[in-house]
Amino acid sequence: MDASPVEDWWRPFKLVGAATVIHVDLKPDAAREAVALAWLDEPERSRWRRFQFAGPRRRFGLCRAALRAMLCRRHECGNGQLAFETARHGKPFATVDGMPVPDSFNVSHSGRHGLIAFAPAGRLGVDIEERVAHRNLDLLVETVLGEQEQALLARTRGDARTRLFFKLWTMKEALIKAHGKGMALDPSRLQIPSAMLGGTTRSTLQSPAIPGVRWRLDDLSNEQFAAAVAHEVCEASGPSRGNGKAPRTPANP
Amino acid sequence: MASTAERVRQLVAENLEVDGQAVAVPADLGVSLTEVGVSSMEFVAFAKVIVAEFDVPLTPDDCAGFSTLKDLAAHIDAQAA
Repeated sequence: MDASPVEDWWRPFKLVGAATVIHVDLKPDAAREAVALAWLDEPERSRWRRFQFAGPRRRFGLCRAALRAMLCRRHECGNGQLAFETARHGKPFATVDGMPVPDSFNVSHSGRHGLIAFAPAGRLGVDIEERVAHRNLDLLVETVLGEQEQALLARTRGDARTRLFFKLWTMKEALIKAHGKGMALDPSRLQIPSAMLGGTTRSTLQSPAIPGVRWRLDDLSNEQFAAAVAHEVCEASGPSRGNGKAPRTPANP
Repeated sequence: MASTAERVRQLVAENLEVDGQAVAVPADLGVSLTEVGVSSMEFVAFAKVIVAEFDVPLTPDDCAGFSTLKDLAAHIDAQAA
């Protein structure tokens, strides 16, 4: 494919310990979407075509292409050498020439925003949600939040209630995605540290729901969206051990 | 009484949307909610709705794992049998 005038639609967003988080701009843009589609392999294009709505199709295409571009840069490989496979509970991992790449990554998108997190080691999960009204919010609160969290939410009103719910949701979803076993992990048993309920944006925690693992949890929320990243704390991926280098990318596949 | 398939279609219509748009479910339920673009939050809520409606065990991961809604309806019928 020839060089394209389309600028990258992703930018460094945050460095959180050893993890790098990239923001992906997912607003409608036909030129970007055409470039993104050229990055995808045939199974991905097939999946892209099957989406019923333009929004999910665009979010998948733009995020997957951005992920491909950044992994190619990080591993100095060609796009054709890169493939994705899925672990038992659905979490994807990347291979280069059929060999799994050693670093961790995770992707989330909502509305016009996507986040991609990378780390050299340790399980990693990221979640982002635009704060839009949900018709089954009360059902979600009962299902996802623990008793203490539900009590706090019950004392909160209006916009603050919405913000608190999405903050809790994204932190729990980031932990669940990092853990890698999907909703087999009961989110109501993942108690968010009280300091983070009070406004602290970073904490470490161990949960009885995931014995023997310590997680670093960062609240990345801003005015546009709620977001969080969870990263397994280990010798190779502790907060002070990362290289903190945001990946740069080639312009085309 | 409506069939399981009809009730599943109705529950989708009442509970799921993508970017504010209603999810179109064909009569044969031959559609995957994952490919529709349903979010994880929607899957969590929808699984609870199905459990409440049919009184069958179902997790959000189960719900996301079915290739089509037809498979979900078959699962519900099998659990209820």
